[in-house]
Amino acid sequence: MKVLQTISILILGFIALFLSSCQESESPLVDETGEMIVKFDNYVGNRPLVLEPEGSTNYRYALANGQSFNITRFGYYISHIQLEGPNGEIFSDPMLASASEVKGYYRVNQEEPDSWEIHLKNIPAGQYNKITFNLGVKEDGIVEGAVGGILDRAAGGWFWNWNSGFIHYMFEGHSPASERVQGDLQNRVRLHLGGWKNVAPVDDLPQRFFDNNVKITLPFDATVRVNSTMRPSPHIHVDALEVLGDVDFSIVNNIHTPAEARPFASRLQGAFVVDHTHQ
Amino acid sequence: MVFWRTWGKAFALFPLLLFISCMQGGDDGPKETLYAFRAPVHFPEPTYTFRNNQVHEKGFKLGKMLFNDPNLSRDGSVSCSSCHLQSHAFADTWLHPMSIGVDGREGKRNAPPLFNLAFHREFFWDGGITHLDFTPIAAFENELEMDIPFPEVVDRIARHPVYPGLFREAFGIETVTGPFVLHALSQFMLMMVSASSPYDAYIQGDKTALSATQLAGLQLFRQHCESCHREPLFTDLSYRNNGAQRVIRDFGRELVTERAEDRAKFKVPSLRNIEVTAPYMHHARFQTLEDVLDHYTSGMQHQETLDPQLWRSGQPVITLSAAEKEQLISFLLALTDTKFLSNPIFHQTHD
Repeated sequence: MKVLQTISILILGFIALFLSSCQESESPLVDETGEMIVKFDNYVGNRPLVLEPEGSTNYRYALANGQSFNITRFGYYISHIQLEGPNGEIFSDPMLASASEVKGYYRVNQEEPDSWEIHLKNIPAGQYNKITFNLGVKEDGIVEGAVGGILDRAAGGWFWNWNSGFIHYMFEGHSPASERVQGDLQNRVRLHLGGWKNVAPVDDLPQRFFDNNVKITLPFDATVRVNSTMRPSPHIHVDALEVLGDVDFSIVNNIHTPAEARPFASRLQGAFVVDHTHQ
Repeated sequence: MVFWRTWGKAFALFPLLLFISCMQGGDDGPKETLYAFRAPVHFPEPTYTFRNNQVHEKGFKLGKMLFNDPNLSRDGSVSCSSCHLQSHAFADTWLHPMSIGVDGREGKRNAPPLFNLAFHREFFWDGGITHLDFTPIAAFENELEMDIPFPEVVDRIARHPVYPGLFREAFGIETVTGPFVLHALSQFMLMMVSASSPYDAYIQGDKTALSATQLAGLQLFRQHCESCHREPLFTDLSYRNNGAQRVIRDFGRELVTERAEDRAKFKVPSLRNIEVTAPYMHHARFQTLEDVLDHYTSGMQHQETLDPQLWRSGQPVITLSAAEKEQLISFLLALTDTKFLSNPIFHQTHD
């Protein structure tokens, strides 16, 4: 009896497997997926952002107040990307932060042209007209402890060693308006925007720490279609000048803490615009 | 026939094999358990993310090698164990009130002891580091300590003749990366559990573990010290200014929180193994426990952020007679965990 039971269960199992695989092949559209390449184009005002070597005195750009400057390092972390469509389509880029693998975290680093394009895969086929992402590395990238990939400090991850957390947005350069010296480098400007937690005020004590992650939501300039043959590419225009805002480099030129970073973080959303989309 | 000649023997051997494997299992069992993390029953839940990094023998031993390796400092002169000695509960010796880093550079704060780290949420005197895994990065990169960029540390390990093979065995990885170096070091540090002092024996039911004087000291402790040095960790993990700096030079917690309200506050240190971690306070001002108690009863002066549990209405809160101080210190000595201080699994030569 036992043997018969086992055999009949096995047979039923095979039939079920067979049936389910038939279903899949009969309606392939249900699971159709596609890809999207989100391109980040970095600018200073209306001029493309071009890096200078450290120590350069070639000042390509100027603030509204007239202070000239150049940029020697520039980039930012992007994570938690989500796409939404007019008909309820939704895609959430899978996130993982572990020692052996990191998923859903990207770093747009001006030094590495490959990093300017974020390649999203396994997007359900459909129409999309909005992208949302987090600028920075949130709590979920910190509280798990040591993680790998682009978050590994040993592999160049932008990680603060004295106040645990990542530099969400990195801006380094020189300005003759700044008298800041960093080692052998003169006229230094370094703006490292980070901070990932808010510790609420207690009794008469003020808030401690600041979460400078910024959720950025951008409508596409047109609805784009994703399917197995169409791979659209929205281009996001990022304006570093917008983030600098009304800064005076003679006073503010060396930001390395969450509280100091707040005014800059508040201007991040406005610096990102979907410029155009290649369908 | 051929079948039975081969397989018949195998079948005949099978029970024997089973028996042998059982015996080996019996041998391995207790040995394995030496290297598993176990929270003491009278401790709170650990906060470490064991889900990502379970302690095992190979990871622990690898972490121990890294902890003891001076080649992971810039000039090969200083290892983690140079300033964190087991006999001093992994604090530095009293000869080094401020530890000595590369090129004989003197640190700015007293090296804290290392134990029960799985139960802490933040690390270092100012609590700037929010996960145990990140603590070695700060020590490697501090120019007064090991003065070496973390990428260089990982690079040296990856080019080492022995380490890469050990990482493969411990973590199944072909290339050594930062997070696994940190996981190995965490495994070693997580095993530093100190919960076998006479106090612990007393708490767990051995009423003879503390002397009458120590019991009187425990009462005084609970009356005067408990609110900050909370049992069983003997710290409430908070940041407080206890007035130890006569002139405030080190802003402590304020450097991390950017709030003047946190000026001169430091993480409340555990009092476990306090007997072997002199000198005391972040700037190593006090040589003896008597000095510390004298400070609390009569050594403080008003400061803006001085803790209200220590100083109220222009007066110190704690009053203790000379006899009470002796009883209190007698109790503090019952927090010395000799089993932890001599546990052979931490010995550099122990395999």
